[in-house]
Amino acid sequence: MGIERLGEELIATLQVGPVEVSFDLPAVAVSLFVTALLVAVSLWLRRGLPREREGPLSRRAGFLAALLEISRSQLVAGFDEPLAKRILPLTTALFLYILLCNWMGILPIPYIVSPTQNLNVPMGMAIMVYVLAHYYALRTRGVRRHLRSYLEPNPILLPMNIVGDMGRTLSHGFRLFGNILGGAILIALAPALLARAAFLLPLAFPVGIGLDLFFGIFVGTIQALVFALLASAYINLAVSS
Amino acid sequence: MEISGADLITMARYLAAGLCMGIGAIGPAIGQGMAASHALDGMARQPEMENSLLRTMIVGQAITESTGIYSLVIAIILVFVAG
Repeated sequence: MGIERLGEELIATLQVGPVEVSFDLPAVAVSLFVTALLVAVSLWLRRGLPREREGPLSRRAGFLAALLEISRSQLVAGFDEPLAKRILPLTTALFLYILLCNWMGILPIPYIVSPTQNLNVPMGMAIMVYVLAHYYALRTRGVRRHLRSYLEPNPILLPMNIVGDMGRTLSHGFRLFGNILGGAILIALAPALLARAAFLLPLAFPVGIGLDLFFGIFVGTIQALVFALLASAYINLAVSS
Repeated sequence: MEISGADLITMARYLAAGLCMGIGAIGPAIGQGMAASHALDGMARQPEMENSLLRTMIVGQAITESTGIYSLVIAIILVFVAG
């Protein structure tokens, strides 16, 4: 653990025509690993479903049903039924993906960091939610009614509405990024500072573990929940406002 | 030791980052505390509402936090990126 390592990244660059694309290798690797893990667990759970509809409920089916019930009651509570059904898979997937990404950050392996502390990952997801919200709004309400919602409550407020729309997406991405990166910096900083004073040295290890648990597990869970909740709330707002 | 212009800029960056975080954290802290205190009031009055109050409180606090996150981002840029 060192403060020096925070700025250090393994970057691969790729020349595509005139554009140079750079990849943050640990973030890509961890996020691919998380994706593969989620897909594998999902396939394994699906294989445990009973064959016929009326068959006895297997343990995996029970687990799946409980998970769905929790995410339905937590993420899309009170939404219109068709909309809730359509965005439940999206928000559940967002929650599980961000949760596992955040938890990856506390593994004490060099270079393994949570992908969510790279601004591109949360901002990409926030922009995806923004585009999806407008897509669903256009599909359910039509172009005219959706565009007219920008003129409400008063046409003078049109610039405010547009800026507010952008700022909401910006803060949606920055919130996850800032929380996870801030936690990671504190986790690296506090033990290093304690280790500088000899009489505080024994404290460095427990403080490091405690910060790891608080920022990795607790804040990681809360932020994953908040990101998924806000994603569903923004889509619901765009569709039904 | 001669103090050059670059040293002064570095000093100003760290000072600005500290001020940015310290002053920027006041508002979200007060806001989050108020949200928690009122949610506790509500829970004490209606314990059966606890679940939905807790969820709403956490989301509200997360939104309150964004101004603090903005100052954190500025501080991080000042310390690690700028200069």
